[in-house]
Amino acid sequence: MNRQHKKRDLILLVFTLVSCLGFFLPSLHAAMDPKEILRKADEARGNAEGVEWEIAIDSIEGGRQQQRTIRVTARGFNSLAEFLAPPNVKGQKLLMLDRNMWFAKPGLSKAVPISPRQKLVGGTANGDIASTNYAGDYKIVQTSEDMVSGEPCYLFDLSAVDNRATYDRIKYWISKERLVGLKAEFYTVSGKMFKTATFGYENSIMVDGKPREFISKMGITSAVMKEDVTTMSYRKASIKKVPDSVFNLNLLLK
Amino acid sequence: MAGEDSHTALAVIQKTLAEHFSWDLRILTYGIIQEPSNSSQNSENNFLQIPHYTADLEIRPDLRLNIDPLELSAKPRMRLEYSIWREGYRKGESEWDDDWYINEWLVRWKVRENLFISYGRENLQWGPSFLFSPSNPFFQDNGRRNPYLEVPGMDFGRLVWIPGSSWTISFIANTDEGRNKTASGFPIGFPQGTPFEKTFALKIDYTGRQNYGSIIFSHREDSLNSLGFFGGWTISDAILLYGEGVITQGSKALYPKRDSSPFGASMQKLHQDDSTIKPVLLIGGSYTFAASGTLSMEYAYYSPGYSDADPDTYYSLRRSAAGAISSSGLLSALGQKTLGQTASTGLRFLRKNYALFQYTQNNIKNKIDLTLRWTQNLNDGSGQFTAVVSYSLGNHVELFSVGTVMAGGKNTEFGSILDYQWMIGLKYSF
Repeated sequence: MNRQHKKRDLILLVFTLVSCLGFFLPSLHAAMDPKEILRKADEARGNAEGVEWEIAIDSIEGGRQQQRTIRVTARGFNSLAEFLAPPNVKGQKLLMLDRNMWFAKPGLSKAVPISPRQKLVGGTANGDIASTNYAGDYKIVQTSEDMVSGEPCYLFDLSAVDNRATYDRIKYWISKERLVGLKAEFYTVSGKMFKTATFGYENSIMVDGKPREFISKMGITSAVMKEDVTTMSYRKASIKKVPDSVFNLNLLLK
Repeated sequence: MAGEDSHTALAVIQKTLAEHFSWDLRILTYGIIQEPSNSSQNSENNFLQIPHYTADLEIRPDLRLNIDPLELSAKPRMRLEYSIWREGYRKGESEWDDDWYINEWLVRWKVRENLFISYGRENLQWGPSFLFSPSNPFFQDNGRRNPYLEVPGMDFGRLVWIPGSSWTISFIANTDEGRNKTASGFPIGFPQGTPFEKTFALKIDYTGRQNYGSIIFSHREDSLNSLGFFGGWTISDAILLYGEGVITQGSKALYPKRDSSPFGASMQKLHQDDSTIKPVLLIGGSYTFAASGTLSMEYAYYSPGYSDADPDTYYSLRRSAAGAISSSGLLSALGQKTLGQTASTGLRFLRKNYALFQYTQNNIKNKIDLTLRWTQNLNDGSGQFTAVVSYSLGNHVELFSVGTVMAGGKNTEFGSILDYQWMIGLKYSF
């Protein structure tokens, strides 16, 4: 009887501890600095040291469909996108060094400087394909709470730190439990929403020896033309240290 | 046992190739219709003998093998051409020609993550300008006029050192003219008869947050020194500003000079030993519209170009030489030589002031890329309009057209060689 009581007490204790942990876990996240939450969400969509991935872009714009596959090597504000498919764009390269951008095409003698406004494909901004650094690129104006598909989220209102950022203002929903971004709305300087994005995390990478959810899909919908949709599927993601030479125009093989 | 070893070695080679080898293949077939200008430079098309029609087939594979730290690449080419003449001495003639060559190849060794050594035949281009790239001491053609024609490669040894993420220092040695030479074997960009000389350059590049800049010191073995520079600034999401230029001491170019020769003038290297500085400066900018489409404008001041007094002598000399080539004997030979000199003066442009306006819009309805370009000689009033259009016919095939129309009289820069040229073709990409 005494032994049974002890066993029951132990079960109750474990149950209570687990319940408390479950109760306090969101609070622990809540106790995290908002900047830290944003940084954690960034980790699921890139890496400061460097990341390489392949992105399959499917775009529908004005009823017309377009596909591209690109390999992106990115670090901080720098990225190199190499077009892999379809064959008629294979070998094209987009090099982004901070706000400086060049576009190189096989057969075209030299890389052409382009402005950040020039679009990659569909509703994808050039900055969308690179590693994400919202914690560095944007300041937190306001935080609140909201739900996305029944999942409790922190809602961050972000404003660009300077003109290096791809967007002027973003509303960003981060899952309280998983600390990954689930949804974003992108706004112009005038405050007009021009596109929305949703994110999926079916990929997994190892961070400090532990598996971590990593971005697998980003769906972009135009706020003006609702039927204009671009989906980016991320695969073959690898976190690695990317040297400066990858982003050097002098070494870009055409 | 030996059989097993060779089998294993073969398997290793196959695996290495599968993992590190990549290739692209483009096949271009196109036709060109062009109308030679009946100017004193090419009267009745008897001097330059430009074919009226050409039909071409080009096979362009690009091969790459990347076995870190070694990178190898090669661009072998095959061109088959059929030409028909409708004007000049060769009127009514036709000709088949085939050409097999390697336009570019490269061997690059990564010594360290920030140090690279390479040697090969390259089309080494840089600078932001469309009109031309004055900061480049090696290539006169930046390949922008017609993106479907490849610029011939030259042989370079290069050492690229990246001391930090913002800086790059390159030592470049141009050891041979490679394929970048005229039909008579002289390097392109120099007066006819000028031999190739090795050129060495030190290039320092800086990339900032929203700007970049480079300076290029170069020395040609026959003592032609230059200081090139270019830079760009991303003002906003939509606006780019850029500049490019070069400062040279003296010039190897030919200038017209009145004298007692049979034509009353001759082409001479007047500034060969000149110590005066000859600057070339280009400034430009582009604006990308919110609904896509980019408008670019450039102005170039080309100080080596002919002054207001020179063109009269130049065109008068051309007329005299053109009149002499149909005669016989020494006068005809002198006429031929003079026209060769007036056609290849060694100057990138004939006059001093130029403007370029360009509108580019890509991916129109996910199918069409369009570039419209107007180049204006602000001194003699002649101009050149170019329209480059491509239409995607699926994932492999592209229909393209490059049309150029010249404006101006026969005694103007752009009116001297062609009245118009139209290239239309198909590009198949594997």
